[in-house]
Amino acid sequence: METFGVGMSEIVVRKGAAKYLCLGLGSCIGVAIYDPRADVSGMIHVMLPAAFPDRPVDQIGKFADTGIPALLMAMEKMGANKRNMKVAIAGGAQVFKFNNTGTNQLDIGRRNGEAVIEQLTKAGLKILAKDIGGTHGRTVTFTVPDGQVEVKTLSQGVSELCNLADNRERSAA
Amino acid sequence: MGVIITIDEMIDRTADLPVIPAVALRIMHEADSNTASASQIAMLLARDPALASRVLRLANSAYYGLSGQVFGLKEAVVVLGLRCVKNLALVAVSYPWLSKPLHGYGLDPKDLWMHSHGTAVAAMLAAQRSGRLRDDEAFTAGLLHDIGKLAMNVWLERKTEALIQLSSLNGWSFVECERTVLGYDHGQVGGRIAERWNLPLSVIDSARYHHEPDARPDPSLVVDAVHLGDYLASALGFGMGADGLQYALQPNTLVRLGLHPQDIDRIADDLERERRLQAESFEEIVA
Repeated sequence: METFGVGMSEIVVRKGAAKYLCLGLGSCIGVAIYDPRADVSGMIHVMLPAAFPDRPVDQIGKFADTGIPALLMAMEKMGANKRNMKVAIAGGAQVFKFNNTGTNQLDIGRRNGEAVIEQLTKAGLKILAKDIGGTHGRTVTFTVPDGQVEVKTLSQGVSELCNLADNRERSAA
Repeated sequence: MGVIITIDEMIDRTADLPVIPAVALRIMHEADSNTASASQIAMLLARDPALASRVLRLANSAYYGLSGQVFGLKEAVVVLGLRCVKNLALVAVSYPWLSKPLHGYGLDPKDLWMHSHGTAVAAMLAAQRSGRLRDDEAFTAGLLHDIGKLAMNVWLERKTEALIQLSSLNGWSFVECERTVLGYDHGQVGGRIAERWNLPLSVIDSARYHHEPDARPDPSLVVDAVHLGDYLASALGFGMGADGLQYALQPNTLVRLGLHPQDIDRIADDLERERRLQAESFEEIVA
Protein backbone atom coordinates (compact mmCIF):
# COMPACT_ATOMS: atom_id res chain seq x y z
CA MET A 1 0.00 0.00 0.00
CA GLU A 2 1.31 3.39 -0.95
CA THR A 3 1.98 5.88 1.88
CA PHE A 4 1.16 9.53 1.32
CA GLY A 5 2.78 12.14 3.53
CA VAL A 6 0.37 14.99 4.12
CA GLY A 7 2.65 17.98 4.70
CA MET A 8 1.62 21.32 6.12
CA SER A 9 -1.13 22.90 3.99
CA GLU A 10 -1.45 19.83 1.77
CA ILE A 11 -4.58 18.02 0.64
CA VAL A 12 -4.37 14.40 -0.53
CA VAL A 13 -7.35 12.49 -1.97
CA ARG A 14 -7.32 8.85 -3.15
CA LYS A 15 -9.65 6.19 -4.47
CA GLY A 16 -8.85 2.72 -3.17
CA ALA A 17 -6.26 1.54 -0.67
CA ALA A 18 -3.94 4.16 0.80
CA LYS A 19 -2.04 5.06 3.92
CA TYR A 20 -1.85 8.71 4.99
CA LEU A 21 0.76 10.13 7.34
CA CYS A 22 0.42 13.53 8.98
CA LEU A 23 3.69 14.14 10.84
CA GLY A 24 4.41 16.44 13.78
CA LEU A 25 1.13 18.25 14.28
CA GLY A 26 1.41 21.05 16.83
CA SER A 27 -1.27 23.70 16.54
CA CYS A 28 -2.12 22.37 13.06
CA ILE A 29 -4.98 19.92 12.58
CA GLY A 30 -5.10 16.73 10.56
CA VAL A 31 -8.56 15.93 9.18
CA ALA A 32 -9.17 12.38 7.90
CA ILE A 33 -12.31 11.64 5.88
CA TYR A 34 -13.53 8.34 4.41
CA ASP A 35 -16.52 7.35 2.31
CA PRO A 36 -16.40 3.54 2.62
CA ARG A 37 -19.15 3.03 0.01
CA ALA A 38 -17.31 4.89 -2.72
CA ASP A 39 -13.94 3.80 -1.26
CA VAL A 40 -12.74 7.41 -1.54
CA SER A 41 -10.64 8.95 1.22
CA GLY A 42 -8.81 12.17 1.87
CA MET A 43 -6.73 14.05 4.36
CA ILE A 44 -5.75 17.67 4.95
CA HIS A 45 -3.12 19.29 7.23
CA VAL A 46 -4.69 22.63 8.18
CA MET A 47 -2.40 25.36 9.50
CA LEU A 48 -4.58 28.42 10.17
CA PRO A 49 -8.30 29.05 10.77
CA ALA A 50 -9.09 31.46 7.95
CA ALA A 51 -7.64 32.95 4.77
CA PHE A 52 -6.97 36.71 4.76
CA PRO A 53 -9.40 38.85 2.74
CA ASP A 54 -6.57 41.10 1.54
CA ARG A 55 -4.02 38.41 0.60
CA PRO A 56 -3.88 35.83 -2.17
CA VAL A 57 -4.17 32.23 -0.96
CA ASP A 58 -0.91 30.52 -1.96
CA GLN A 59 -1.99 27.09 -0.77
CA ILE A 60 -5.67 26.35 -0.51
CA GLY A 61 -5.09 23.65 2.12
CA LYS A 62 -3.42 26.08 4.49
CA PHE A 63 -6.65 27.47 5.91
CA ALA A 64 -9.66 25.68 7.40
CA ASP A 65 -12.15 27.89 5.55
CA THR A 66 -10.63 27.26 2.11
CA GLY A 67 -9.09 23.83 2.64
CA ILE A 68 -11.99 21.81 4.01
CA PRO A 69 -14.45 22.80 1.25
CA ALA A 70 -11.67 22.03 -1.29
CA LEU A 71 -11.03 18.61 0.25
CA LEU A 72 -14.74 17.74 0.21
CA MET A 73 -15.11 18.90 -3.39
CA ALA A 74 -12.10 16.84 -4.48
CA MET A 75 -13.54 13.77 -2.77
CA GLU A 76 -16.94 14.31 -4.35
CA LYS A 77 -15.32 14.58 -7.78
CA MET A 78 -13.91 11.10 -7.19
CA GLY A 79 -17.35 9.77 -6.42
CA ALA A 80 -17.67 10.26 -2.68
CA ASN A 81 -20.92 11.41 -1.14
CA LYS A 82 -21.09 13.66 1.91
CA ARG A 83 -23.86 11.49 3.38
CA ASN A 84 -21.48 8.56 3.61
CA MET A 85 -18.40 10.44 4.79
CA LYS A 86 -16.93 9.68 8.20
CA VAL A 87 -14.56 12.19 9.80
CA ALA A 88 -11.82 12.17 12.43
CA ILE A 89 -9.69 15.13 13.52
CA ALA A 90 -6.52 15.43 15.60
CA GLY A 91 -4.06 18.20 16.52
CA GLY A 92 -4.73 21.76 17.64
CA ALA A 93 -2.26 21.72 20.53
CA GLN A 94 -1.35 24.93 22.27
CA VAL A 95 1.60 26.28 24.20
CA PHE A 96 1.63 25.26 27.78
CA LYS A 97 0.94 28.56 29.49
CA PHE A 98 -0.22 31.97 28.54
CA ASN A 99 1.12 34.39 31.09
CA ASN A 100 -1.58 36.99 30.54
CA THR A 101 -5.25 36.89 29.87
CA GLY A 102 -6.79 38.35 26.74
CA THR A 103 -4.41 36.54 24.41
CA ASN A 104 -6.86 34.08 22.90
CA GLN A 105 -5.90 35.26 19.44
CA LEU A 106 -2.40 33.85 20.05
CA ASP A 107 -3.77 30.38 20.71
CA ILE A 108 -3.64 29.15 17.13
CA GLY A 109 -4.32 25.54 18.13
CA ARG A 110 -7.63 26.24 19.85
CA ARG A 111 -8.77 28.56 17.05
CA ASN A 112 -7.84 25.95 14.45
CA GLY A 113 -9.94 23.37 16.28
CA GLU A 114 -12.95 25.68 16.36
CA ALA A 115 -12.59 26.63 12.69
CA VAL A 116 -12.22 23.03 11.50
CA ILE A 117 -15.28 21.91 13.48
CA GLU A 118 -17.25 24.89 12.16
CA GLN A 119 -16.39 24.04 8.54
CA LEU A 120 -17.23 20.35 8.95
CA THR A 121 -20.49 21.16 10.69
CA LYS A 122 -21.39 23.67 7.98
CA ALA A 123 -20.88 20.92 5.41
CA GLY A 124 -23.26 18.71 7.38
CA LEU A 125 -20.61 16.21 8.42
CA LYS A 126 -20.52 14.49 11.76
CA ILE A 127 -17.16 14.08 13.46
CA LEU A 128 -16.82 10.49 14.61
CA ALA A 129 -13.81 11.13 16.85
CA LYS A 130 -11.56 13.99 17.80
CA ASP A 131 -8.29 14.29 19.70
CA ILE A 132 -7.57 18.00 19.90
CA GLY A 133 -5.99 20.47 22.32
CA GLY A 134 -3.40 19.65 24.96
CA THR A 135 0.25 20.65 24.80
CA HIS A 136 1.77 17.69 22.97
CA GLY A 137 2.63 17.11 19.35
CA ARG A 138 0.85 14.37 17.44
CA THR A 139 1.47 12.19 14.41
CA VAL A 140 -1.64 10.82 12.72
CA THR A 141 -1.88 7.79 10.44
CA PHE A 142 -4.99 6.90 8.50
CA THR A 143 -5.32 3.73 6.45
CA VAL A 144 -7.98 2.64 4.01
CA PRO A 145 -9.84 0.44 3.29
CA ASP A 146 -9.63 -0.64 6.95
CA GLY A 147 -10.47 2.94 8.02
CA GLN A 148 -8.16 2.96 11.01
CA VAL A 149 -7.05 6.34 12.42
CA GLU A 150 -4.18 6.24 14.88
CA VAL A 151 -2.62 9.04 16.90
CA LYS A 152 0.94 8.84 18.17
CA THR A 153 2.27 11.10 20.92
CA LEU A 154 5.61 11.03 22.65
CA SER A 155 4.18 10.46 26.13
CA GLN A 156 1.29 8.12 25.24
CA GLY A 157 2.69 6.16 22.31
CA VAL A 158 0.32 4.96 19.58
CA SER A 159 -3.40 4.64 20.19
CA GLU A 160 -6.33 4.03 17.88
CA LEU A 161 -8.56 7.09 17.69
CA CYS A 162 -11.37 5.49 15.71
CA ASN A 163 -12.26 3.42 12.71
CA LEU A 164 -13.85 5.30 9.85
CA ALA A 165 -14.88 2.13 8.01
CA ASP A 166 -17.10 0.67 10.74
CA ASN A 167 -17.94 3.71 12.91
CA ARG A 168 -15.93 2.32 15.80
CA GLU A 169 -14.56 4.85 18.25
CA ARG A 170 -11.93 3.54 20.60
CA SER A 171 -10.91 6.50 22.71
CA ALA A 172 -12.86 9.31 24.32
CA ALA A 173 -13.27 12.28 22.04
CA MET B 1 18.27 17.86 43.40
CA GLY B 2 20.48 20.91 43.21
CA VAL B 3 23.46 21.80 41.09
CA ILE B 4 25.91 18.96 40.62
CA ILE B 5 28.42 20.81 38.45
CA THR B 6 28.55 24.40 37.26
CA ILE B 7 27.48 25.43 33.78
CA ASP B 8 31.11 26.02 32.78
CA GLU B 9 32.20 22.62 34.07
CA MET B 10 29.33 21.03 32.21
CA ILE B 11 30.25 22.78 28.95
CA ASP B 12 33.91 21.79 29.42
CA ARG B 13 32.99 18.18 30.01
CA THR B 14 30.65 17.92 27.00
CA ALA B 15 32.35 16.05 24.18
CA ASP B 16 31.74 16.98 20.53
CA LEU B 17 30.56 20.53 21.17
CA PRO B 18 30.93 22.43 17.89
CA VAL B 19 33.32 25.31 17.51
CA ILE B 20 32.35 28.37 15.54
CA PRO B 21 34.86 28.95 12.72
CA ALA B 22 36.95 32.09 13.21
CA VAL B 23 35.96 33.50 9.83
CA ALA B 24 32.23 33.20 10.57
CA LEU B 25 32.73 34.94 13.90
CA ARG B 26 34.70 37.79 12.29
CA ILE B 27 31.99 38.20 9.65
CA MET B 28 29.28 38.39 12.32
CA HIS B 29 31.07 41.20 14.15
CA GLU B 30 32.13 42.96 10.97
CA ALA B 31 28.57 42.96 9.57
CA ASP B 32 27.32 44.50 12.82
CA SER B 33 29.90 47.29 12.82
CA ASN B 34 29.31 50.71 11.33
CA THR B 35 32.40 50.52 9.18
CA ALA B 36 31.60 47.27 7.38
CA SER B 37 32.23 47.19 3.65
CA ALA B 38 31.51 44.66 0.93
CA SER B 39 35.19 44.18 0.15
CA GLN B 40 36.05 43.53 3.79
CA ILE B 41 33.38 40.85 4.11
CA ALA B 42 34.47 39.31 0.79
CA MET B 43 38.10 39.31 1.92
CA LEU B 44 37.22 37.62 5.20
CA LEU B 45 35.16 34.98 3.42
CA ALA B 46 37.98 34.26 0.99
CA ARG B 47 40.09 33.06 3.93
CA ASP B 48 37.80 30.05 4.27
CA PRO B 49 37.45 28.68 0.73
CA ALA B 50 35.07 25.85 1.69
CA LEU B 51 32.74 28.29 3.42
CA ALA B 52 33.12 30.85 0.63
CA SER B 53 32.10 28.35 -2.03
CA ARG B 54 28.99 27.32 -0.09
CA VAL B 55 28.04 30.98 0.42
CA LEU B 56 28.40 31.58 -3.33
CA ARG B 57 26.20 28.60 -4.11
CA LEU B 58 23.60 29.85 -1.62
CA ALA B 59 23.69 33.29 -3.24
CA ASN B 60 23.07 31.60 -6.60
CA SER B 61 20.29 29.35 -5.27
CA ALA B 62 16.75 29.51 -6.62
CA TYR B 63 15.59 31.37 -3.48
CA TYR B 64 17.20 34.63 -4.62
CA GLY B 65 16.27 34.21 -8.27
CA LEU B 66 19.77 35.19 -9.40
CA SER B 67 20.75 31.69 -10.49
CA GLY B 68 24.22 31.61 -11.93
CA GLN B 69 24.56 35.38 -12.08
CA VAL B 70 26.65 35.90 -8.94
CA PHE B 71 30.23 35.06 -9.86
CA GLY B 72 32.38 36.46 -7.10
CA LEU B 73 32.27 36.93 -3.34
CA LYS B 74 32.31 40.70 -3.50
CA GLU B 75 29.51 40.64 -6.04
CA ALA B 76 27.48 38.39 -3.72
CA VAL B 77 27.94 40.87 -0.88
CA VAL B 78 27.05 43.85 -3.09
CA VAL B 79 23.97 42.21 -4.63
CA LEU B 80 22.55 40.55 -1.51
CA GLY B 81 23.89 42.91 1.14
CA LEU B 82 26.55 42.12 3.71
CA ARG B 83 24.07 41.26 6.44
CA CYS B 84 22.36 38.75 4.20
CA VAL B 85 25.72 37.19 3.31
CA LYS B 86 26.55 37.02 7.03
CA ASN B 87 23.42 34.96 7.60
CA LEU B 88 24.15 32.71 4.62
CA ALA B 89 27.58 32.02 6.11
CA LEU B 90 25.93 31.21 9.45
CA VAL B 91 23.43 28.87 7.80
CA ALA B 92 26.34 27.05 6.13
CA VAL B 93 28.34 26.89 9.36
CA SER B 94 25.55 25.84 11.73
CA TYR B 95 23.72 23.31 9.55
CA PRO B 96 26.06 20.39 10.35
CA TRP B 97 25.66 20.81 14.14
CA LEU B 98 21.95 21.61 14.03
CA SER B 99 21.10 18.63 11.84
CA LYS B 100 22.47 16.03 14.26
CA PRO B 101 19.96 14.04 16.32
CA LEU B 102 19.63 15.05 19.99
CA HIS B 103 18.19 12.04 21.80
CA GLY B 104 18.01 13.87 25.14
CA TYR B 105 15.40 16.12 23.56
CA GLY B 106 13.73 13.43 21.46
CA LEU B 107 14.99 15.16 18.30
CA ASP B 108 15.64 13.12 15.16
CA PRO B 109 18.27 14.14 12.58
CA LYS B 110 17.43 17.55 11.08
CA ASP B 111 14.75 18.31 13.69
CA LEU B 112 16.79 20.94 15.53
CA TRP B 113 17.78 22.46 12.17
CA MET B 114 14.12 22.69 11.14
CA HIS B 115 13.20 24.25 14.44
CA SER B 116 16.14 26.69 14.52
CA HIS B 117 15.72 27.73 10.90
CA GLY B 118 11.96 28.10 11.41
CA THR B 119 12.61 30.27 14.47
CA ALA B 120 15.13 32.37 12.52
CA VAL B 121 12.70 33.01 9.65
CA ALA B 122 9.81 33.73 12.07
CA ALA B 123 11.94 36.13 14.13
CA MET B 124 13.01 37.88 10.92
CA LEU B 125 9.37 38.22 9.79
CA ALA B 126 8.34 39.50 13.24
CA ALA B 127 11.14 42.08 13.03
CA GLN B 128 10.04 43.17 9.56
CA ARG B 129 6.45 43.55 10.70
CA SER B 130 7.53 45.39 13.83
CA GLY B 131 9.89 47.77 12.02
CA ARG B 132 11.61 48.47 15.37
CA LEU B 133 14.69 46.27 14.91
CA ARG B 134 17.00 44.84 12.24
CA ASP B 135 15.54 41.72 10.65
CA ASP B 136 18.96 40.17 9.91
CA GLU B 137 19.88 40.41 13.60
CA ALA B 138 16.64 38.62 14.52
CA PHE B 139 17.44 35.88 11.95
CA THR B 140 20.97 35.35 13.34
CA ALA B 141 19.79 35.20 16.94
CA GLY B 142 16.89 32.92 16.00
CA LEU B 143 19.17 30.49 14.19
CA LEU B 144 21.42 30.09 17.24
CA HIS B 145 18.85 30.40 20.06
CA ASP B 146 18.92 26.71 21.02
CA ILE B 147 22.70 26.11 21.02
CA GLY B 148 22.38 25.28 24.72
CA LYS B 149 20.59 22.08 23.73
CA LEU B 150 23.76 20.87 21.97
CA ALA B 151 25.47 20.71 25.37
CA MET B 152 22.47 19.79 27.55
CA ASN B 153 21.58 16.85 25.28
CA VAL B 154 24.00 14.24 26.64
CA TRP B 155 23.26 15.21 30.24
CA LEU B 156 19.53 14.70 29.66
CA GLU B 157 19.74 11.47 27.70
CA ARG B 158 18.52 9.13 30.40
CA LYS B 159 16.35 11.75 32.08
CA THR B 160 14.00 12.77 29.28
CA GLU B 161 11.13 10.55 30.45
CA ALA B 162 11.45 11.91 34.00
CA LEU B 163 11.33 15.48 32.71
CA ILE B 164 8.18 14.83 30.69
CA GLN B 165 6.59 13.26 33.80
CA LEU B 166 7.66 16.20 35.98
CA SER B 167 6.18 18.60 33.50
CA SER B 168 2.81 16.88 33.26
CA LEU B 169 2.52 16.14 37.00
CA ASN B 170 3.44 19.61 38.24
CA GLY B 171 2.31 21.77 35.37
CA TRP B 172 5.86 23.03 34.89
CA SER B 173 7.35 24.32 31.69
CA PHE B 174 10.24 22.31 30.25
CA VAL B 175 12.80 24.92 31.36
CA GLU B 176 11.52 24.66 34.94
CA CYS B 177 11.99 20.89 34.72
CA GLU B 178 15.53 21.27 33.35
CA ARG B 179 16.41 23.58 36.24
CA THR B 180 15.00 21.14 38.78
CA VAL B 181 16.83 18.13 37.38
CA LEU B 182 20.14 19.65 36.24
CA GLY B 183 20.27 22.95 38.10
CA TYR B 184 20.07 25.06 34.96
CA ASP B 185 18.17 25.22 31.68
CA HIS B 186 19.20 25.16 28.01
CA GLY B 187 18.79 28.93 27.80
CA GLN B 188 21.34 29.60 30.55
CA VAL B 189 23.73 27.06 29.05
CA GLY B 190 23.25 28.47 25.53
CA GLY B 191 23.88 32.00 26.78
CA ARG B 192 27.15 30.87 28.37
CA ILE B 193 28.26 29.02 25.21
CA ALA B 194 27.47 32.13 23.15
CA GLU B 195 29.54 34.23 25.59
CA ARG B 196 32.45 31.84 25.42
CA TRP B 197 32.28 31.89 21.62
CA ASN B 198 32.35 35.70 21.78
CA LEU B 199 29.11 35.97 19.76
CA PRO B 200 27.32 39.34 19.51
CA LEU B 201 25.34 40.40 22.59
CA SER B 202 21.96 39.99 20.87
CA VAL B 203 22.80 36.32 20.17
CA ILE B 204 23.96 35.73 23.76
CA ASP B 205 20.82 37.34 25.15
CA SER B 206 18.50 35.49 22.79
CA ALA B 207 20.05 32.14 23.69
CA ARG B 208 19.77 32.98 27.40
CA TYR B 209 16.36 34.65 27.60
CA HIS B 210 14.36 33.24 24.69
CA HIS B 211 11.94 31.46 27.02
CA GLU B 212 11.59 34.36 29.41
CA PRO B 213 12.30 37.67 27.69
CA ASP B 214 10.55 39.52 30.53
CA ALA B 215 13.32 38.32 32.89
CA ARG B 216 16.00 40.30 31.09
CA PRO B 217 16.66 43.39 33.24
CA ASP B 218 16.52 45.63 30.18
CA PRO B 219 14.15 44.24 27.52
CA SER B 220 15.69 43.52 24.12
CA LEU B 221 13.64 43.60 20.93
CA VAL B 222 15.82 40.91 19.34
CA VAL B 223 15.09 38.58 22.27
CA ASP B 224 11.39 39.44 21.95
CA ALA B 225 11.40 38.60 18.22
CA VAL B 226 13.21 35.31 18.90
CA HIS B 227 10.75 34.43 21.67
CA LEU B 228 7.86 34.97 19.29
CA GLY B 229 9.67 33.13 16.49
CA ASP B 230 10.37 30.19 18.78
CA TYR B 231 6.71 30.12 19.81
CA LEU B 232 5.52 30.07 16.19
CA ALA B 233 8.08 27.49 15.00
CA SER B 234 7.12 25.25 17.94
CA ALA B 235 3.38 25.71 17.53
CA LEU B 236 3.61 24.89 13.82
CA GLY B 237 5.51 21.73 14.66
CA PHE B 238 8.83 22.55 12.97
CA GLY B 239 11.16 19.89 14.41
CA MET B 240 9.16 19.12 17.49
CA GLY B 241 10.94 17.20 20.24
CA ALA B 242 10.16 15.74 23.65
CA ASP B 243 9.73 19.23 25.09
CA GLY B 244 6.88 19.76 22.61
CA LEU B 245 4.94 22.89 23.44
CA GLN B 246 5.76 22.80 27.15
CA TYR B 247 6.76 26.44 27.29
CA ALA B 248 5.17 29.70 28.32
CA LEU B 249 4.36 32.53 25.97
CA GLN B 250 5.08 36.04 27.26
CA PRO B 251 2.65 38.34 25.42
CA ASN B 252 4.51 41.49 26.55
CA THR B 253 6.91 40.72 23.73
CA LEU B 254 4.17 41.63 21.24
CA VAL B 255 3.53 44.93 22.98
CA ARG B 256 7.23 45.86 22.93
CA LEU B 257 7.49 44.93 19.25
CA GLY B 258 4.39 47.01 18.48
CA LEU B 259 2.58 43.97 17.10
CA HIS B 260 -1.08 43.06 17.49
CA PRO B 261 -2.35 39.55 18.24
CA GLN B 262 -3.90 39.59 14.75
CA ASP B 263 -0.40 39.86 13.27
CA ILE B 264 0.40 36.35 14.48
CA ASP B 265 -1.61 34.58 11.77
CA ARG B 266 -0.06 36.74 9.06
CA ILE B 267 3.46 36.03 10.31
CA ALA B 268 2.58 32.30 10.44
CA ASP B 269 1.27 32.45 6.84
CA ASP B 270 4.52 34.07 5.63
CA LEU B 271 6.63 31.75 7.78
CA GLU B 272 5.24 28.60 6.18
CA ARG B 273 6.10 29.91 2.70
CA GLU B 274 9.50 31.53 3.43
CA ARG B 275 10.81 28.62 5.47
CA ARG B 276 9.76 26.11 2.82
CA LEU B 277 11.29 28.10 -0.04
CA GLN B 278 14.56 28.67 1.83
CA ALA B 279 14.78 25.05 2.95
CA GLU B 280 14.15 23.78 -0.59
CA SER B 281 16.89 26.04 -1.96
CA PHE B 282 19.43 25.89 0.86
CA GLU B 283 19.42 22.38 2.27
CA GLU B 284 21.01 20.50 -0.59
CA ILE B 285 23.83 23.07 -0.67
CA VAL B 286 24.68 23.05 3.03
CA ALA B 287 24.00 19.36 3.70
